[in-house]
Amino acid sequence: MKPGTRLKSAACDTEVMVIRCADGQIECGGAPMGEAKPAEAAPLAADFSAGTLMGKRYVDADGKYELLCVKPGKGSLSVDGVALVVKDAKPLPASD
Amino acid sequence: MSLPKPDPRTGPAIPLARWADRQLKAMGETYGLTALSGLEGATLMGERGANGGYRIGGRISAGLGGSRLMPTRDGGWFALTLIRAEDRELLPALFGDARLAIDDPAAIAAATLQHDCADLVKRGRALGLPVASADEVPASPPVTVMTRGQRRERPAGHRPLVIDLSAIWAGPLAGHLFWQAGMEVVKVESRTRPDLIRRDDPTTFDLINQGKANVLVDFASTHEKAALIALIRSADVVIESSRPRALRHLGIDAETLVREVPGLVWLSVTGHGASGDAANWVGIGNDCGVAGGLSRAMAELTGEIGYVGDAIADPLTGITAAREGLAALRSGEAQRIGLSMTAISAMALAEERAFNRAAIDAELRAWGTAAGQPFPHVARRVLQAEVHEIGADTTRYLPGLAQC
Repeated sequence: MKPGTRLKSAACDTEVMVIRCADGQIECGGAPMGEAKPAEAAPLAADFSAGTLMGKRYVDADGKYELLCVKPGKGSLSVDGVALVVKDAKPLPASD
Repeated sequence: MSLPKPDPRTGPAIPLARWADRQLKAMGETYGLTALSGLEGATLMGERGANGGYRIGGRISAGLGGSRLMPTRDGGWFALTLIRAEDRELLPALFGDARLAIDDPAAIAAATLQHDCADLVKRGRALGLPVASADEVPASPPVTVMTRGQRRERPAGHRPLVIDLSAIWAGPLAGHLFWQAGMEVVKVESRTRPDLIRRDDPTTFDLINQGKANVLVDFASTHEKAALIALIRSADVVIESSRPRALRHLGIDAETLVREVPGLVWLSVTGHGASGDAANWVGIGNDCGVAGGLSRAMAELTGEIGYVGDAIADPLTGITAAREGLAALRSGEAQRIGLSMTAISAMALAEERAFNRAAIDAELRAWGTAAGQPFPHVARRVLQAEVHEIGADTTRYLPGLAQC
């Protein structure tokens, strides 16, 4: 998948932009994400229902995946069933 | 209204300095503030570049050179500002190329040439990157009153209290002008995110933050946030330059505070506007000047595109914020005022062209053909007051914290 691809959650309103990825399955709310929204919504898995936050960047422990939330929702993000975590934001330096 | 005569040993005048000068003089006259009439527009717009030894950079912004104008596939010009390392990590997503050499300006320029300008701007904004097109129409008006609250009658001689939550240049310059106007200004910095211009450009930091009290707040602490909100409720003016979700995250609800605190003037300094989609877009001084049409105006006169001035939208916006803040204070009515750095740049150009088209066009032409020359000389301002250490006044303004 190309970086810059926009993925939609099948289980909630979440949309992400792919910053970095490998060959695993990117999921939200426990269901695979896709470029199009499925006709029928997937159920929100209880284990993946902590929600996504607009503008936050989500990463895996190995640094292979990074997703930017461009639309928040009730599901939380995972890859092959392993939850992603929020990457800490850095301060903005002086304008130039 | 007079500007210093051009000095042949230095570069051409910064375009729109005369507009800035007129705003300062008008504020000084309207409110009887001689300290404001005494400031030169050319000084406020040019002191960072002059003190820093900047040279006019053409398609690369002056100073740190963090912003670049690059041609796109469809003949447009795309401005991209890269000053945070983690913003570079977003470039593969911006260009849809996992193998992009993100530290190589030539590779970034080559990638830009593969895309249409509007697509890059749209995706860049979704990614939270400071980007602009030389041919965009500002998304918001320059100044918008977003919310109004109750009036407050201030007794004669009341010294307004200003809480300055902003960072970098535009917001702090507005705070500086309020300080020059005799107000009590408290600069609030975050324990984890201090204003980095303090470190990156201490000379400019000192000039625009001199005389302000300094309060340090740990925004991870509910108790400290509550103490700050109590301070804001006692204030006359708030200046902030955060995106809406950052403000919410800090537990600060501007709309509610303006509705509840009579006479509170809330200045929201933004890149592209304080409401709607544009409120989430990032914009800083150089790219906002491009988005406001200044680079295109210069290109039409010279055939060469480039950055006009030094982060020009910042000082133009700082001066405008002070002007709007003074007017709101005089009205007595609580209000939240959104300021768009992009639209303010466009407004300043339009007003200056209406005022004296020949003069501003001559200045843009001179600036556009002076790449490589130094910035104009401006007399270095002498500090008039102490620069407070970070956190020096925390216990004075947030007294509740001392009891914990």
